[in-house]
Amino acid sequence: MKALIGLLTMAGLCCAQNVTVIQNGIIHTVTKGTFTGSIVIRDGKIAEVGEKVMTPGGAKIVDATGKHVMPGIIDAHTHIALDSINEGSISVSSMVDIGQMLNPESKSIYQALAGGVTTANTMHGSANSIGGQNVVFKMRWGNNADGLVFKEAKPSLKMALGENVKRSGNPQGGGFQMQGTQNLRYPGTRMGVEDVIRDAYTRAREYQKEIKEYEAKKAKGEVALPPKRDLQLEPLVEVLEGKRIVHAHCYRSDEILMLLRVFDDFGIKGVVFQHVLEGYKVAKEIAAGGHSASTFSDWWNYKIEAADAIPYNAAIMQKKGVLVSLNSDDAGGAELGRRLNTEAAKVMKYGGLTEEEAIAMITINPARQMQIDKWVGSIETGKDADIVIYDKNPLSMYSKVEKVFIEGKQYFDRDSDVTARPKTEAKKNGLIQKEKETEKRNMPQTMPQTRRPS
Amino acid sequence: MRQTIRRLLVWVCGLMAWQTLGMAETPGLVAIQDARVVTVSGAVLEKGTVVIRNGIITDVGASVAVPKGAWIVDGKGLTVYPGLIDALSTWGIPEAAGAASAAGATGRGAAPAPPSAAPGAAMASAPRSWGPQDRPGTTSWVKAADLVKPTDRRIETARGAGFTTAITFPKQGLVAGQGAVVNLGGESSGQMVVDPSAGLYLSMTPSGYSGYPSAPMGILAYFRQLWIDAEYYKTAKALYAQNPSAIPRPEYDRALEGVLEAKRVMLPAASPIAMERMLKLASELKSPFIFYGVTQGYEMADRLKQTATPVILNVKWPTRERDADPERVDSLRTLEIRDKAPTSPAALAAAGVKFAISSDGIDTPRDVIRALKKSIDVGLKKEDALKALTLNAAEIYGLASRLGSIDKGKIANLVVTDGDLFDDRTKVKFVFVDGVKYIPPPETPAGPGGGFGGRPTAAPGEEN
Amino acid sequence: MKRGLIWLAAMTVPLLAAESNSFLIRNATVHPVSGPKIENTSVLVMDGKIADIGPKLAAKGKLKVIEGKGLHVYPGMIDAGSPIGLSEISSIRETVDTGEIGEFNPQLRALVAVNPESESIPVTRANGITTVVATPGNLGGGRGASSSVISGQMSMIHLNGWTWEEMEVKRNVGLQITWPVIASGGGRGGDPEMAARFGIRRTPYAEAKKNQEALVLKLREFFESARRYQQAKAAGEPGLKPDLKMEAMIPVLEGKVAVVVFASREREIREAVQWAEKEKVKLVLANVRRPGKMTTELASKKIPVVLGSTFTPPLEDDDPYDEPFSLPGELAKAGVKFCFASFGTQFARNLPYEAAQAVPFGLPYEEALKSVTLNTAEIFGVADQFGSVDKGKVADLIVTDGDPLEIQTQLKYMFVAGVQVDLESKHTKLYKKYLARP
Repeated sequence: MKALIGLLTMAGLCCAQNVTVIQNGIIHTVTKGTFTGSIVIRDGKIAEVGEKVMTPGGAKIVDATGKHVMPGIIDAHTHIALDSINEGSISVSSMVDIGQMLNPESKSIYQALAGGVTTANTMHGSANSIGGQNVVFKMRWGNNADGLVFKEAKPSLKMALGENVKRSGNPQGGGFQMQGTQNLRYPGTRMGVEDVIRDAYTRAREYQKEIKEYEAKKAKGEVALPPKRDLQLEPLVEVLEGKRIVHAHCYRSDEILMLLRVFDDFGIKGVVFQHVLEGYKVAKEIAAGGHSASTFSDWWNYKIEAADAIPYNAAIMQKKGVLVSLNSDDAGGAELGRRLNTEAAKVMKYGGLTEEEAIAMITINPARQMQIDKWVGSIETGKDADIVIYDKNPLSMYSKVEKVFIEGKQYFDRDSDVTARPKTEAKKNGLIQKEKETEKRNMPQTMPQTRRPS
Repeated sequence: MRQTIRRLLVWVCGLMAWQTLGMAETPGLVAIQDARVVTVSGAVLEKGTVVIRNGIITDVGASVAVPKGAWIVDGKGLTVYPGLIDALSTWGIPEAAGAASAAGATGRGAAPAPPSAAPGAAMASAPRSWGPQDRPGTTSWVKAADLVKPTDRRIETARGAGFTTAITFPKQGLVAGQGAVVNLGGESSGQMVVDPSAGLYLSMTPSGYSGYPSAPMGILAYFRQLWIDAEYYKTAKALYAQNPSAIPRPEYDRALEGVLEAKRVMLPAASPIAMERMLKLASELKSPFIFYGVTQGYEMADRLKQTATPVILNVKWPTRERDADPERVDSLRTLEIRDKAPTSPAALAAAGVKFAISSDGIDTPRDVIRALKKSIDVGLKKEDALKALTLNAAEIYGLASRLGSIDKGKIANLVVTDGDLFDDRTKVKFVFVDGVKYIPPPETPAGPGGGFGGRPTAAPGEEN
Repeated sequence: MKRGLIWLAAMTVPLLAAESNSFLIRNATVHPVSGPKIENTSVLVMDGKIADIGPKLAAKGKLKVIEGKGLHVYPGMIDAGSPIGLSEISSIRETVDTGEIGEFNPQLRALVAVNPESESIPVTRANGITTVVATPGNLGGGRGASSSVISGQMSMIHLNGWTWEEMEVKRNVGLQITWPVIASGGGRGGDPEMAARFGIRRTPYAEAKKNQEALVLKLREFFESARRYQQAKAAGEPGLKPDLKMEAMIPVLEGKVAVVVFASREREIREAVQWAEKEKVKLVLANVRRPGKMTTELASKKIPVVLGSTFTPPLEDDDPYDEPFSLPGELAKAGVKFCFASFGTQFARNLPYEAAQAVPFGLPYEEALKSVTLNTAEIFGVADQFGSVDKGKVADLIVTDGDPLEIQTQLKYMFVAGVQVDLESKHTKLYKKYLARP
């Protein structure tokens, strides 16, 4: 009986806890305008948004008076939280899965979270024409790798063009010296890059055909050897079948156009061109193909293929009908990824886009590109309650993130973070002290003269 | 002529050394009388007798009749334990000690020189790998049973610490080869081997090849493809056997033969992160598996229990680097891992995870016991520590009917000490391996090339 | 050749046909930085200098008048360290002229290798940066020929001029020194799997320390040789052969030129401070990241600091997430004088935002503004002429529609030494060209 009461109490508590109301903030919904109002979060989802909402009794109240409330930032291209980034030994490494390399203990996750990022597409690197399988994850700091993964997100594949691809493992492409030409990794030119890609998708088509033929034979009752499962070609078949999104790293307009035509030939749609620094030169063609672009705000001139990069890239592409997002390309620690809000402000400076268009480039636009806009990317009823509260307008340099919610759960709170710092420090000093004492105690025992020959 | 004499002299001297330091007596019938007998499988006999006949324990108990003609060992003041088992080792493979020449590995001559025998040599000669079809770092057909030799000098040192059995593995490469259960005694390689097929050793540390796979995710993808290929190979061979005229003849592939032969796979999992990766991999390989490493076992115990994963624990506890920059401060996470790692055995025991112990990365066999003592100091029960060193290992490898405890019918692998095994002052008086008594040499430094002086080829990287 | 010249000239023709350097800005809000803002006031510039500031200034004769209603006048911003002009595309060695071969190169002058036609100049200028301290040494990320201890002389330049001579503000504002680091290396986190994978071989601490001490000793000896040379020269020692390296050291030893020592962490900072005291040289610290207990000493000893970009992740795993953002505020609170540098070319235009990023994390706004203007001028000894909108100073001015530290603010005009400069760049040109693509 006592246990039953306990259970009931717990259930009661749990229901009250499952409702949070963010009250009286300046809400940037991204898709439904900006206004002062409140958000009701129930069971991790946005239950209601409006200037006036019904606040259920027992709901947790977050007072956002005078603060700015925004959907969680979505970083469409990053390499954070990974134990390895490139399988660069071969030109088609589609069999590798970045999802297996997620490191949930990486501080970059927390750093991104503290910068308002709630979802990120963490990707294979750009060392080869066809890289590996990427993973979309949420900054649910404290969970294990599986608990981070955005399970509903459509799988994707990294591809890459240009300098990185031809340089890697190829001295003729400007890379490091390797012994003997037989060890050169093809390709060493942009022509070769096209060849590798066409060859890979041609092989994938053949593989697809073989499977179908085998199934036909089997249906007829013929004795046949099934085609051997090929982990390299499987993801490419998924691309051909529209089950896997392609994220293609590219810089120059010629190579962008080349890839557009390859995709035309293989019927590959909905590709996200990444970096795409000369996208502004072929914006018309990208838009015509129904593809989209994810770029930097103002990177330029760090290598020759970035010589014509301009900070107006995003604005031109947007004006010409391309769906555009801004990304960080972070690796190691989170850097640019934790200030994508002010990076977005740069499209207002360079190209005169509106505030709403700027914020869209780091929220709903990347969500659409990654085909997760059904769940995230804007503050709308029914979507995941991935919400950031800023003290000032997020497009201002003077703003900072105060709170971050993912599916209604608070994962970051600046005040708690600051308060916890001395405690962490004390814990650390305690362990250092303990270790020193143990070392001192063990000193004579652990170093007998008999152990190591000289 | 003079040369022959010299050679003979060397041989005789060698033999004498062998006699004095190694084997003492080799009677067929022995009784250890009135000793404290720690059977591991059952209660401790404060005053018991163990009878050994032709290498097998034929009797054990408080009141056991001593057969006539038996050599009597007076066990007063002594304790008898089952021989200790190094559950993941390279002992017995002389090349792994880094002391032997590469040529030594060719063994019986018929087998080609396995790349695993000559670390580094394969790297230079092997062509660059361009994909899974090149079977990079794969020598799954190599068997430790074919590589072990009684001449590995580490054997004697191991016995001196009370070890009588090692599950020893080739470790070079990604799919290094098949382990063998070997007894640390005997005069020929063949005598040593208890079970030639202990499992296939997989490593996430690339060595012995260049090219694909170069990253951990590439290695995981390679393992998956290799097992897919092996499964396909099996199917193709079966189909071909039924329809040799309709089905193309499958190409013989020794790498796949090795994979198909393996009873189980050994997977590296030092941390919770590695554990999740390996659990996923294991589910795809569809092969029984054992995790090795598991240094952060204190964070992994529940999940290991839930997945019923047996564990070979690496007891080389992480410590602060000796030559660290005094102004450098390690991260809280690193400090916590170093603080908590020695509590792993207790955590595994509490959760009911079956675990045994590996000597991997540890300087001397004696240090394996010292490392476990550290864990005892932070909460590991002595019985659990002893079990991990004996019966658990036997059970994990499916050898509990023959090894791991002092029971009638089991192989007579025993260690006789003058005190508690985990007391650093305790001395091993002698050990029995397959019923043969060995008197350990006094604990002296291993000579150069003896193996334990330098690091064995099982580099720290292999700890995962 | 001739055609090339004509083409070059065409590319850089300023907006105004003649390089007039006198004008009046009327009815603007002036932010002198040296004092509080003055609303609805005018700035009179005559012959490249600020002649007057006041509410009722009138244009005399044909003087150009700029209507400043709703606009803001600020001093041009100064980047306290950038290889601008010396490094074009960092990944292409042929375009990089920082980091000369050799450990001790005090005689090298950044100024003479500044390419006035660098694409970075108009791009950087367009965000309100009129002045840069050009650096001769590698700043990390660059691909110079080598890394050295003494890299050469830092030169303050205007981001306007037909030649480097015309760009020169002051050719020697500091001797760039990189304090040797005890590089025992190795990864963080102590992950043996990763360490093995990447083949991280740590140099043992003892060995790294020995190497570092040897290099520091060499530096001491170099200064000692220079001092002897200086004494011999002063004494008119017969037979003293001129030595360009030693000659270059004399202004440093005389205290006329500061040593700008790159030292990031507490130990390097401590060593550099002790060393500079012993050598009795004027010290500026650069790229300070983790001063630790040295912070109070930097304040009490009035050692100024050049900070690198705040746009960087925390140094260590356990650092607070905002560590790079909060450092400037902490230094300001402790009373350390500092300025900001981009230490690069690609993002040099983001200098104002580097400073602004520290504001929500504790740096007072006025300090942020000073740290890209007046503080920089003071630290490099040119505050009598530069760094603020004050009567008598050189007219390096920017006119904006708002706070120049905010990204959305647009720059309306820029004047370098009173000359209006073009705000167009390759970027604006490509923008217009491709926006118009049919």
